Amino acid sequence: MYEEPYRWVEAVGNRRQYLDDQLRQGSPVVALSYAEGTVLLTFSKGTPKLYEIYDRIGLAGMGHPADLEKLRFTLLDMAHMEGFQRSPGDVTGSRLVKYGLAPVIKQAFEEIFRAPFIIKILLAELGAKPEQDHFLTVDYDGAFEETPGWAVLGATPEIQRHMMAYVKSQIPQPPPTLQVSVETALQTWAIGSLHQTQEELKPDEPNKSGPATTVQNDPAFDETKILDHLRDTLSEKTLECAVLERDAPGRSKYRSLSPEETRSLLPTVLQEVR
Amino acid sequence: MGAQGDFLQLLHEHGYKLDFFPSHASGVTDANLSLITRGTTVLAMKYGDGVLVAGDRRATAGNIVMYDRTDKVLELDRYCVMAIAGVPATAFEMARILEHSFKYFRRSQLQDLSFEGKLRALSNLLKENVPAALAGTGAVVPVFAGFDPQQGCGKIYFYDILGAEFEGVEHAVSGSGSPTIRGILHYLNRWGDRPLATLDEEQAIIIVLRLLTSAAEFDSATGGVNYEANLYPIVKRITDKGVQNISSEQLKDLFATQVAHYV
Repeated sequence: MYEEPYRWVEAVGNRRQYLDDQLRQGSPVVALSYAEGTVLLTFSKGTPKLYEIYDRIGLAGMGHPADLEKLRFTLLDMAHMEGFQRSPGDVTGSRLVKYGLAPVIKQAFEEIFRAPFIIKILLAELGAKPEQDHFLTVDYDGAFEETPGWAVLGATPEIQRHMMAYVKSQIPQPPPTLQVSVETALQTWAIGSLHQTQEELKPDEPNKSGPATTVQNDPAFDETKILDHLRDTLSEKTLECAVLERDAPGRSKYRSLSPEETRSLLPTVLQEVR
Repeated sequence: MGAQGDFLQLLHEHGYKLDFFPSHASGVTDANLSLITRGTTVLAMKYGDGVLVAGDRRATAGNIVMYDRTDKVLELDRYCVMAIAGVPATAFEMARILEHSFKYFRRSQLQDLSFEGKLRALSNLLKENVPAALAGTGAVVPVFAGFDPQQGCGKIYFYDILGAEFEGVEHAVSGSGSPTIRGILHYLNRWGDRPLATLDEEQAIIIVLRLLTSAAEFDSATGGVNYEANLYPIVKRITDKGVQNISSEQLKDLFATQVAHYV
């Protein structure tokens, strides 16, 4: 039945709906450049969402843990073969995504007799200076985007736009300290998460049009609301935080922060939450 | 798939062979064997804070000095090094494989490879390399030293060319200059002022510099200190803080006062 083109288009459209539904419950991810490195932040429940891929590359995922594992191994194999047979300097996020990850995800998405990956992926790549940091995101259909400075994952493109707008309004120049970045990342996460809850409550209402998002017209931007939401989440879920540090000794720059260290970076109003 | 975290397996799946000078390769004769780069003195020694690993900088082929700035103490990860003696082409390749193996294991399995697992990885490579070692084109005789974070102590291992593994409880040596210093190490440890394992860092570095200078005295394939070129051996300490280089300034200073002009 799928040999007719319009059926195929319809089937792919159905997949989008299915994947959007699946991802609506996911925890957003925020990655930011700061003066001494880049930070990745999310909340997780049970399975971790942040991983080390290569010397200067970290991975964050949103979606199904089994799919994330599978793609993580694809990335690990590709990065380590490349780093060994050429040089560690030739392993770049951009090549991993363009020639490794995106084609695999796209193929699975379009082959309608196979299950697609229920996944959104973010790669953070540490540069020698903050302006050389790179962030890449890959959507469940294999579409990828490359940005300097920061990147986010949220359930829908609309939510991601809200989050991006918020980061943009908050990031000071020159790049801030880790502590400031963690605070910004937390708030951005909360904005994404609040939007997701809102959309869940009224999933039928189309939310795709309207003027460009700014912080001012974003209804989720309310400091007390954000703080309350973060307080609730901190007591229910695990805050995951990992950094790629420019000055770390040796070649491997990735380090996931211990719960104590993460806690010490939280704004004081959130530190006592247990 | 690397679900077991085995990088060597991944390499094999991609058609890689370590045996890159196969023993059946044509053209390997006794005459051109002497042109293969080798020769060295490397040593590892336990001292108060952990392990000190050192190596001279010379690479020779027959009676020709190929290079005087070789680094034979290769960092495999934050906590361990491999000091190499033998054919550098194979030894550097092994070090690269091990470095990637440890990284790949840690990143894929989300835990560090155990110290014993690291030793096994090196043994496996040596075992795979036996044909080349016997043919004379790829013999590598390494010293493996590291700090075991699980047990909180430094450890030293040495090997023969077939890959047999031995623990050097106090010290280990390898390379053409090693017979000279092996006896000295034994003597110092047994009848010296104090056992090597109780020395502080500076005393240990002085001994290492004196040993390498002695090795260079009696072995033409071991490079000594080259004052004019400001060239000192590679010395690394491995403690609970990981692997760190001893700066050439410190070596220069200790060499000048404790080795060159010492009565």
